[in-house]
Amino acid sequence: MWKNIYLWLDERIGFNDFYKNLLDRPEPKTSWWNTLGSASMFLFVLQGLTGIFLTVYYTPSPDHAYDSVNYIMEGVAFGWLIRGIHHWGATLMVILVFVHMLRVFYTASFKYPRELTWLIGIGLFLTTLGMGFTGYLLPWNQKAFWATTVGTQIAGTAPYIGEFILKALRGGPDLSALTLQRFFSAHIWIIPAILAALIGVHLFLIIKHGESHWPKKED
Amino acid sequence: MNDETKKQINERYERELDKGERFWPDTIFKDVVMSLGIFLLLILLATFVGVPAEPKADPSDTSYIPRPEWYFLFLFKFLALYGQLPVIGKIEWLATVLIPGIAVAVLTLIPFIEKSPHRHYSKRVLPIAIMTIMVVGIVLLTLMSEIPTVSEDGSALLGMLQTISGIFIPLAAYILLFAFKNNTRLMLWTTGLAAASMILVSGTVLTLAPEKEAEETSVATTLPDQIVAGQDLYSIHCTECHGDDGSVAVIEGVEGLEGEKITPINSRDVLYTITDSAMNEVIAYGRPNAGMPPFGKTYGGELTKSEIDYIIIFMRYLWDDRFEAPVIKPLFPPLADGEVPSYDVHIQPIVKRYCISCHRAGKDNNNYLMTTYEEILTTGDQAANNVIAGDEKSYLLQTIQGQSIMNPEKPDEELIGVMPPTKALKPDVVDVFVRWVMNGMPQTAAEAAALFATPAPTPTP
Repeated sequence: MWKNIYLWLDERIGFNDFYKNLLDRPEPKTSWWNTLGSASMFLFVLQGLTGIFLTVYYTPSPDHAYDSVNYIMEGVAFGWLIRGIHHWGATLMVILVFVHMLRVFYTASFKYPRELTWLIGIGLFLTTLGMGFTGYLLPWNQKAFWATTVGTQIAGTAPYIGEFILKALRGGPDLSALTLQRFFSAHIWIIPAILAALIGVHLFLIIKHGESHWPKKED
Repeated sequence: MNDETKKQINERYERELDKGERFWPDTIFKDVVMSLGIFLLLILLATFVGVPAEPKADPSDTSYIPRPEWYFLFLFKFLALYGQLPVIGKIEWLATVLIPGIAVAVLTLIPFIEKSPHRHYSKRVLPIAIMTIMVVGIVLLTLMSEIPTVSEDGSALLGMLQTISGIFIPLAAYILLFAFKNNTRLMLWTTGLAAASMILVSGTVLTLAPEKEAEETSVATTLPDQIVAGQDLYSIHCTECHGDDGSVAVIEGVEGLEGEKITPINSRDVLYTITDSAMNEVIAYGRPNAGMPPFGKTYGGELTKSEIDYIIIFMRYLWDDRFEAPVIKPLFPPLADGEVPSYDVHIQPIVKRYCISCHRAGKDNNNYLMTTYEEILTTGDQAANNVIAGDEKSYLLQTIQGQSIMNPEKPDEELIGVMPPTKALKPDVVDVFVRWVMNGMPQTAAEAAALFATPAPTPTP
């Protein structure tokens, strides 16, 4: 019976095409340095999953954010594990994306025909930092509050538009419930949507051009 | 890039593919191993390192030293060092916006800046040198981010060294690199020497920097911990007026508020009608017209937001009959027959809860302070008589057992009243003090254990 279901699905989806186009592709000899990109993507998925679990209990308001995070850590079964993975995953993701970028630079993999992949990659790097920046405020503890205070202050020193940027980030002259609300919204909707779209394009380009080979003397 | 080069590059790639591997299963295998390794690492980090607890955000706490996320620390440090430069150091936006902006722009446009088709490192020494110095600088600035630019003794040496390794050496190296850009050997030397000297200078800064004391901020995360923390804070800040069970209706023995009528704060009227956030405001802002001073830092008091929360949690769980208190550890471990209590384990928590409220600096207490072991033994107008090892006439022991001390010169004048003035200590607490003083006031648990006289086994008939 399973075979019949498989055949029915295969007729309509065409598993063989997937296999041929996505999996059964030639690649140059790859090294462990080539795993950093897929590892970053794995972390993106993991952050997404743990993040979704966290939103079940998290409340983005100054009155309840701190207590809800505390409840996740103390009251929810395995809440400490989910939050722990999300917390450390964020740190590791920034490191991995950065090292991945360095690897691409040192092996000159950004050169023809992969210039666009690099541009998208820079977008991915900056949005990853944006995820870290917005996520850091959410626990609403002292560290978070003051880190965001200085972070937005630095953005606010830009000439002419500084004050506008500061107010747009904070939702007013000071950090308030509005800041938390818009950082939350950016952290769970806006930036992940951009990140996912960029990852899609990045992946398409990688599959189209294949991974670059390790540069030899003749390159 | 002309079509001929493009064709060559594509043909070259085809040759590599012929010698290469299959995406499935060869490449995928490595990716999966790497991802699984990272997943395991994260589980280990979450389990054994965890997420450090932090106190609740407190906008009024201006003493908190703000620091950005760790991956922005290098930029933060760069700004601090840049701010020390003469003249341009005052134009903040150059460092906060322009330089990072240029850096991101250059990073983005690398494929269009480095246009040569060559990929091997021997043919791209200049870009690699620039990036390497940049990365070394970023790592070193991150490592040095905790070290102040001006030390406590006012010396600017550390700040100067940091500026040298974080700004001047890289800047000089970049100028030299462009000057030598046709000479590979000189570029390599410049990069190597720049990186080595940056590491050396930063290393010196890290070794010279004063050892930073790890700041212990105790954060109560579990309910029992929060209740205990709240009770301790309550006994220090609130007991004087409200009594240790919140039942006081007329304030006694507090200077300036003598005879003031207040609502007992453990009553249903208060607990049922005042919400947590309203109670928060009352504690933070006080009730100036009724004589209650502000306690929140926002209004000039001593308590942070988290601390006020703990006090409210304590009040709810101990007095509000709608809340059921969890099991709470006793204030001190009960004593066995003949066991001698120590300051660290027994006396300190008791004193914190019942005595420090008045016996601390700035209160009316005959100069008898009780916040540390030394203070208990050596301070006060009657320091010679307060605590005497092995003497049950020690003033401390007499007053807590309901005997006030009379002035030896004027026998009908009270020198020290009964302690605590409003409510007698429970017998087991008094017993702890008596045993402690009679056995010579041991400070640590080990010292106390050495004095433990094991009761002689009673012979069984």
